[in-house]
Amino acid sequence: MARNKVVQLEEMGALVSDGDTVALGGSWYSNHPMAAVRQLIRAGRKDLHAMTIVGSVDVDLLAGAGVIGHLSFSMVTLEAFGLAPNVRRGVEGGTLGFTEFTGLGLLIGLEAGHRGVPFLPYRGPFGSDIPAHYPDYYSTVTCPFTGEELTAVRAINPDVAIVHALRSDAEGNAQWDGTSGPDVDMAQAARRVIITCEEIVSRDVIVANAHMTKVPGYYVDAVIEAPFGAHPTSHIPVYPVDPWQLMEYAAAASGDGWPEYVERIRAESEEDYRSRVLGNGRDDVLRALVEEARVLGVSEA
Amino acid sequence: MSDYEIHELMVCRVAAEVDDEGVVVMGSFTPLAYASYMLAKLTHARDVYIAGFDAVGMQPIQLSFTGAEAAAYKGAVCRWGMLEEINSIHLSNNGSVEAVSSAQFDGSGAINLSVIGDFDQPKVRLPGGAGAAEVIKMYRKMIAYFADHNTRTLVDKVGFVTGTRWKVGDESREAAGLMPGPIIVVTNLAVLVKDDDDRPFRIESLHPGVDAQTVVEATGFELEVPADGIPTTPEPTAEQLRLLREEIDPFGTVKLDFVGGKDRLAYLQGILDAEWERGVAAVRAKTP
Repeated sequence: MARNKVVQLEEMGALVSDGDTVALGGSWYSNHPMAAVRQLIRAGRKDLHAMTIVGSVDVDLLAGAGVIGHLSFSMVTLEAFGLAPNVRRGVEGGTLGFTEFTGLGLLIGLEAGHRGVPFLPYRGPFGSDIPAHYPDYYSTVTCPFTGEELTAVRAINPDVAIVHALRSDAEGNAQWDGTSGPDVDMAQAARRVIITCEEIVSRDVIVANAHMTKVPGYYVDAVIEAPFGAHPTSHIPVYPVDPWQLMEYAAAASGDGWPEYVERIRAESEEDYRSRVLGNGRDDVLRALVEEARVLGVSEA
Repeated sequence: MSDYEIHELMVCRVAAEVDDEGVVVMGSFTPLAYASYMLAKLTHARDVYIAGFDAVGMQPIQLSFTGAEAAAYKGAVCRWGMLEEINSIHLSNNGSVEAVSSAQFDGSGAINLSVIGDFDQPKVRLPGGAGAAEVIKMYRKMIAYFADHNTRTLVDKVGFVTGTRWKVGDESREAAGLMPGPIIVVTNLAVLVKDDDDRPFRIESLHPGVDAQTVVEATGFELEVPADGIPTTPEPTAEQLRLLREEIDPFGTVKLDFVGGKDRLAYLQGILDAEWERGVAAVRAKTP
């Protein structure tokens, strides 16, 4: 009998300790582990060091709810809905510590962490002002064979990675169909891995779709079922981004209504959240928009 | 063809840089570049590979907030993750055209997407560059596009270098192991090009009705103005406009960056209303 790693979302708070470095999966407006983010707020976690490649409403919400004390990122944006208001306020006001990585540098640091080597070299961001600000992460190294000078990035091993999958079995064999972003790279580099997923399935379902498994269970510590767990970001092919909710978020985070916005999330369960935000058939409209998505000029088979 | 808007001319000009070789990647929220890539693949660059989200080798897609990502996967030949993508596309010299739009851009080919003011406690914290810090150096061609050509954006020297082209001339690029190719700037006024480390940008073409003096005055870095006449940027063809308006961008997402101030919110709301209607209609059609 395989090990059963399934826990409830409500136990999320016990899986992450104050002060942990937490890598959050997803990228652009896609597949951020939002149910987990909301639960970290409900659990009252604080002083987390969040890490994202291209962060969105996930890290901005955590910053605005006072959960994180430091943010490592290569980009944070609400895209069409503007700069991330809470991250901006925190950085500009000096209350949120930050480390700005170059995008490839951060991914290569995670790869070094995964391989267990102290650093990895690459032809880096020559001419960029970023590396000089972070000598603890960026340096240079001379190739022992050719003499070429390369950028060296120090290995990064987050304490925890939280990533959202399409489905997983109880052992943590996790599958994605659409956008996985940096999820696999973060899971491989982190000391502990929490998988949230749209659906927990039997091992048979995983085996029948084995080509979709991107994180096998030996990396994974906990598996949590969280339907619409990336909402209001997307989880393709189940639901697209919810731009109406992102617009409401951007308005709340930029205006006077922010304390109420956070308090409402803190006070409700994840099930309450779903019925509040996805009720009245909104979930069906979102699902239908995935089907409506149009490919142009496909050549005949 | 005179019945077009400036963003449409810019889409067509950026599209002209895309050819059949290599891979173009949809970066973070650059809708004008997305439309250009789709237009190129539907017309003169049918063999180019497009990567959007983690969908690699996509078919062209219709742009929308709620449809672009799902459509990308429907027509893609690979579904990867970020590390696989940076190793296979960026770091292996397979990247062909990288189009960015930064808060500041200067005459050396440097971009600032990081901060205005002091780095540690900035006046404005900008989003950050994601992969652009490295990628604008690595790709065969770098394109920077700007909806509003002015001296606050096109500056003498950026306040912070998030990333830079680093080597510009073909010889110096090849000596550094990079693919040869220019920096091209496409704005609402003109097209500028730089293909030599030691020479400034020059005006390659002026959009219809724009004179060189206007461009020089709106540019914060030194510009070479060719003395023997400057060509006019080609206007979109009727077929390009049809593809853009009816197929690629019927919701008008590209224009969002060209709508200023409080009109922008209303324009955005209009796009979202149209997308909501599409979803509601689809649900209704399925309900018996």
